[in-house]
Amino acid sequence: MSDTRVIAVKNVRKSYGGFLAVNGLSFDVDKTECFGLLGPNGAGKTTMMKMIYGMAIRDPHSDGSISVFGYDPLYDELKIKNLCGVVPQEDNLDIELNVVENLDVFCRFYGMSKSATRDRIDYLLDLMELTDKRDSKIKALSGGMKRRLIIARALVNQPKLLILDEPTTGLDPQVRHVIWNKLRAMKKLDMTILLTTHYMEEAFQLCDRLIIMDGGKKMMEGNPQRLLKDNMEHYVLELKSAGSFGKVEGFLKETAANIGSTTEAATKEGVTDKAGNDEGAFGEAVNAETETDETETIEAETDEAASKKAVIRVEHMEEIVYVYSNDPEVLQKAVCLLKGEDYYLRQSNLEDLFLKTTGRALANAQ
Amino acid sequence: MPNNPPSFLTRVFAIWHRHVRVYNKFLLSNGLPPFLEPLIFLAGIGLGLGRYIPSMGGVSYVRFLASGLIITAAMWTASFECTFGTFIRMEFGKVYDGMLAAPISVRDMLISEILWAGTKGLFFSSAVLFIMFVFRVLPVSITVLVPFVGFLTGMMFGAISLFVTSFVRNIQYFNFFFTGFLTPMFFFSGVLFPVENLPKAVRPIAEIVPLTHSVRLSRALCNGVFTPDLVIDLLYIVAATFVFGYFAIKRLRRRLID
Repeated sequence: MSDTRVIAVKNVRKSYGGFLAVNGLSFDVDKTECFGLLGPNGAGKTTMMKMIYGMAIRDPHSDGSISVFGYDPLYDELKIKNLCGVVPQEDNLDIELNVVENLDVFCRFYGMSKSATRDRIDYLLDLMELTDKRDSKIKALSGGMKRRLIIARALVNQPKLLILDEPTTGLDPQVRHVIWNKLRAMKKLDMTILLTTHYMEEAFQLCDRLIIMDGGKKMMEGNPQRLLKDNMEHYVLELKSAGSFGKVEGFLKETAANIGSTTEAATKEGVTDKAGNDEGAFGEAVNAETETDETETIEAETDEAASKKAVIRVEHMEEIVYVYSNDPEVLQKAVCLLKGEDYYLRQSNLEDLFLKTTGRALANAQ
Repeated sequence: MPNNPPSFLTRVFAIWHRHVRVYNKFLLSNGLPPFLEPLIFLAGIGLGLGRYIPSMGGVSYVRFLASGLIITAAMWTASFECTFGTFIRMEFGKVYDGMLAAPISVRDMLISEILWAGTKGLFFSSAVLFIMFVFRVLPVSITVLVPFVGFLTGMMFGAISLFVTSFVRNIQYFNFFFTGFLTPMFFFSGVLFPVENLPKAVRPIAEIVPLTHSVRLSRALCNGVFTPDLVIDLLYIVAATFVFGYFAIKRLRRRLID
C-alpha cells in the first residue's frame, strides 16, 4: 500500500534560529499525482520543498520523518536527487554557455553517455519547442524560453519526480499557459509533480491535490475543486466603497432575518480590534489591514439546506467590502439597489479561499 | 528499480568539465593575459631593474624572479577563482544551487572547485614557463615539472580561498584578503629576494605563510638544486590543502544547505 507513495512527510519541523519556518507538517504525495504546496510568501513552502531533496535539513525531532522513494534525504540525498528533477524559483542557467551546452553540462552531472546525452537533448529541445534556439546564447532568450530551458534541464535524467518552485512567477499570461501545457504533458508521462505556487489559478489548473500552508502549518488539504466547493461560498459581491455597502446593508440584514438568522451581530463597521501588523514597514504594499475580525456570519438557523444556501458573510478590507453567499439571487437583488455604484459580482475562486484561509493581512515575512 | 547515482569521480569531473567549458568560452580574454603578463615582466625587469641587480641567489636576477613568478601566477589565479569566482557562483548566479539539485553533494562540488583552481594554476604557471623558455631565461630541462608545483599551489590557494570565502558575506571584503594577506606575502616569501636575507625577527613569518614553500619547490626545480628539506615544503602544501579544504567544505555546507 505504501509503495504508491512517492513522498511521505510526517510531522516535520524546521526552524531558523528561533523562527519556525515549517511547523509539524505532514502530507503524502502519490505516484503520478500533481501535488501543490500553496501559501503566501514565508509560509514555508520552499523550505519544505528543499527538505525533500536535501537542500535543507529538517530539525532533529523524534517522530518527524521524510521519505522520498523510500529514501531519507538526511542519508540518501544523492539517490533522491538521482530520481528527481528540480526547477528552481530563480533562473540559474549558465549565462556563459549556450542552450545545448547548458543541457550537456547537466547530462554529465548524471553520468550519462555521449549518445544518450545527444538523444535526450534533441528530444527535450523538441518537447520544449527550443530546437531552433539550440545554439542561442542565454541572454538572447526571452523569460519564457529560459523557463522552458530550465524545465528541460530538470528533465535530462528522466526524473520520476519533478519538483517545481514557483515555476511561473514573473511570467506573462501567455507564457504561463504554455508552461502549464508543458506540465500537463509531463503528467501524462507518469511523472509525479510537486510544485509550490502562490498563484491560485496555477494550482487550480495543475494540481490533483494541494495543501494550503500558512506560518509553516497546514491549513487545508484536498482536491482544489472540492476544497473550494466545501469551504467557500460560491458567489462574491465586491463593493468598491463602504458607501455602496451602506445601500445594501439594510437589505442584507433583512434577508438574513427573514430566513431566521440572528441579526444583532450584523455589521459592526469600523471595529478594528485586530490591526494590520507592521504597517508602514513595507511601504505601500501593506495597505491591507486585517479586519478579519469584522467578518460576520449571518446564519439562518432554519433547516440545514436553506441555511447553507442563505448564509451571508461580509468582509471588509479598507474601503472594499466583500459579500459572500451561496445564493446568487440574494446578491442579484442587492445589486439592484446599487444603481450607479461600482460593484463586481462574480463566482468565488481559489484565491478567495486562499485569502479566507490565510488572512488578508500581510505577515512580517511577506 | 536500480538507482545508482554516478560515482564520486564522475561527479567531480562533471563539475570540473563545466568550469573548463565556461572558461574556454572566452578563450581570447582568458587565455591571453597569462602569456602577456610574463612578457611585460621580462620587458620591465630585463630592460630596467635587471641592469641594476645583476644576480641574486647565485643566478641572474631575471632567472631568480622568473622561478618565483611562475608560482605567484598560479597563486593569483587560484585565489581569484575561489574568492570572487566562488562567491559569484554561490550568491549571484546561483550556479551552485543548480548543481546541488543534481546528484552532487556540497563536498563533491567544492573538491571540484579546488581541483579547478589547481588546473588554472597549472595553466598559468605553464604559460609563464613557456615565455621563459622562449626567451631563454630558463633552460628546458627538469624545469618542465614546475607547472606541477603550480598545480599544487593552485589547489592550496583554492582551498585557502574557499575557507576565506566561507566567512565573507559581502564581496567587498575580499579586498582584505588580497591587500591584507596575499600582497604582503608576495613580498616576504622569497619571490623578489631570498627569505634567508630577512631580519631574524621576520623569518619565522616567512616560514609560516604558504607561498614560501611553493616558491622553494619551484626554485629548486628551476635551478636544479635539491635539498632534503624540500620534503617539508611539499608536506606543508599537501597538509594546508587538506586542512583548509576540510574546514572550507564544513563551513560552506552550512551556508549552502539550510
